[in-house]
Amino acid sequence: MTIAKKLWLAAAVAAAATGARAESFGLRPYLAVYADEAGAALKDPEGVACTDDRLVVADAGNARLVTFQLKDGAAVAGKELKLPQLAYPTRLQLDAAGVLYVLDGRKHEIAKVDPAGKFLEYVKFKGDSAYAFPRAFKVDAGGNVYVLDLTGKTSVLDPAGAVTRTLPRPPAPDNAMFTDVAVDGAGRIYVVDAVSATIWVAEKGAAALKPLGKSLKDNLNFPTYMTVLGQRLLVVDQNGHGLAAVGLDGSFFARTLGMGWSEGLVYYPVQICSNARNETFVADRNNNRVQMFLPAQ
Amino acid sequence: MRSNTLLLSLALAVLAPPARSTAAARAAGPDASAKAAAAARATAASAAATEKKFKLKPGAEGKLCLDSHANFEATLQKASVHTPVRARDCAGCHNPHATAHGKLLADDPGKICATCHGPMIPAKAKSSHRPVVESKCVSCHDPHASDFPKNLVKRGNDLCAGCHKELVETAAAVKQKHRPIEKTGCTACHDPHGSTASASLLKAAVPDLCLGCHKVDNPLFTAKHGGYPVRTQRCTSCHNPHGSNRPSMLYDEVHPPVERGACSQCHEPATSKTPFKTKSTGLALCKLCHTPLIAQMTEKGRLHSPVLQGDACLTCHTPHASAKGKLLKGNLVTVCGQCHADTIERQERSPTKHKPVKDGECYKCHDPHSSDRPLMLTDANVINVCAGCHDWEKHATHPIGVSFADPRNKNLTMSCLSCHRAHGTEYKRLMPAPKTTDLCVKCHENFKR
Repeated sequence: MTIAKKLWLAAAVAAAATGARAESFGLRPYLAVYADEAGAALKDPEGVACTDDRLVVADAGNARLVTFQLKDGAAVAGKELKLPQLAYPTRLQLDAAGVLYVLDGRKHEIAKVDPAGKFLEYVKFKGDSAYAFPRAFKVDAGGNVYVLDLTGKTSVLDPAGAVTRTLPRPPAPDNAMFTDVAVDGAGRIYVVDAVSATIWVAEKGAAALKPLGKSLKDNLNFPTYMTVLGQRLLVVDQNGHGLAAVGLDGSFFARTLGMGWSEGLVYYPVQICSNARNETFVADRNNNRVQMFLPAQ
Repeated sequence: MRSNTLLLSLALAVLAPPARSTAAARAAGPDASAKAAAAARATAASAAATEKKFKLKPGAEGKLCLDSHANFEATLQKASVHTPVRARDCAGCHNPHATAHGKLLADDPGKICATCHGPMIPAKAKSSHRPVVESKCVSCHDPHASDFPKNLVKRGNDLCAGCHKELVETAAAVKQKHRPIEKTGCTACHDPHGSTASASLLKAAVPDLCLGCHKVDNPLFTAKHGGYPVRTQRCTSCHNPHGSNRPSMLYDEVHPPVERGACSQCHEPATSKTPFKTKSTGLALCKLCHTPLIAQMTEKGRLHSPVLQGDACLTCHTPHASAKGKLLKGNLVTVCGQCHADTIERQERSPTKHKPVKDGECYKCHDPHSSDRPLMLTDANVINVCAGCHDWEKHATHPIGVSFADPRNKNLTMSCLSCHRAHGTEYKRLMPAPKTTDLCVKCHENFKR
């Protein structure tokens, strides 16, 4: 974990200890990105990935990627990247080498794109059937790819594409809808069921996922994305129009943001990313923009 | 003379009717008979206790009330008089002086009924009738008297139609009627209080319930079912127990292979050791025929998870036959509500109902399989989606459309969703603000006070 993330987390934990809830986890709007450098507006941005100096947006409605430079607190020089291998880019991840992983909703593939914008290959993911399409994925520091498919099964692929581990669909009710996978530094794998707002976890080496505490339905409406940040899971509540912090033991910590159209509010947020500069970017899909937030304090 | 007649009729009523009531209870079954006898005993004891409690002269109890409630005479002439009424034990249910309950009832209505009748929902019931659960006995029974057996407020199916109107009317109107409904009524198959045997208040689980009347060990029956040993299967997966407009009471919407009797198109042959096992599972099974449709779905940017997850198509559709179009398992409020319960609940809480959501017409705005647009909308332009029902172009005064930017967000243009939430809010007119002005000033900030 980077120092900045540790600081951000420490601040959040300290605020929680004082009894403050949503405020303690508050984010203040700092920047909103609406268009590329040519003025072409974003449309239904589904994904964001970021480093300290780079922000990539999956501009799904325009079937393109847009890469911005992060400089002096601004996102500048947004370059459009359209690749024939990407028809409907949705979720994004960046690995340690700066390679961009892009989940394509129409091609049902995870594409790898190098920092220069060149298509490298599709991740060699093969499910149990022809229709085991990837639904979500994450990349860890070692370059392993964790793929949650639309049937609810999770597969771990090593950097060469070999499947090293599989976790069957959790024994959840039939109407469960698994929408994202995450992995923490200890190798624990998490998946989330949006319908019941339940997070499932598998310890490193475990053969199956088990519930991580109780349903979070009282605090989350329809969680569709999550990422591990220190000792917290940061969860995007898409239909609840907000973000929530959940402990790695499954306990609810706090939530922030709210529904709206003005800057600082979100309307069906879909993916988030954070960088070492303590900046959190939100793909604010139905507002056709990406917003950058800083910790409230 | 009039008072003599009244006294005579009261005496007859007290003496004669209990036998009729007990006989009716015996006909209803041993359990009902025992309950009725217990209720009668409780009533006799209660009447005696009442006289003692209020220090009334012997025999005065019912007379006192009837002297004041003279219009009750007609009630006493009805075919089915409630035992305490017949015994003139008015204080068995009412407190003659004062009470915290309506109609001077001595206690909560449900508790009063249970005093004599005990719990009407059997222990370990698999299903129970809502009015019984809510102790609303008087929804179906008249506590004093009625012209119908068991003090029912209406006759047979007419009573059930009070809540299940569509079902009862359809059952009466269809070409192929189910005989028990015509002959006996809903209670031929359903227990109106609760059932330990099955869901839906059924007196026995399907197929046992059906096998009570239908003989299945004859060649014609076997031939009609393609040789498949269906006696162990759920008859109601193909046949509508409430009647239908199709031969053999098949549901109105039938999967073509079922209609053709081509069960082996999806199942193993009838001669197999596992005849009901399907040739494949999930999407792969449906793909045997629906390849183009599935390909069309998967070519879009957003695939609705149930299309691939778990039972795939069978999450929403039934494989044999259905009363609903497109072989849906039920009304879309129920089908979509399996996963999107929050959305359905939001609509239910909303003071203004959006008709397509209320009526289960989710497909009018959303593509249930896949879409290239967020929220699986059927059209890229929200205004076009709304215009499917609302002729906003003819009378709307607020500028909306792609030519009008949303002042709150330069990447949005004004659309119906700029001011309304399609699935309802806690405020009127599907608006996300308590008052219209609260909403307006979000854009028109110069008017903010």
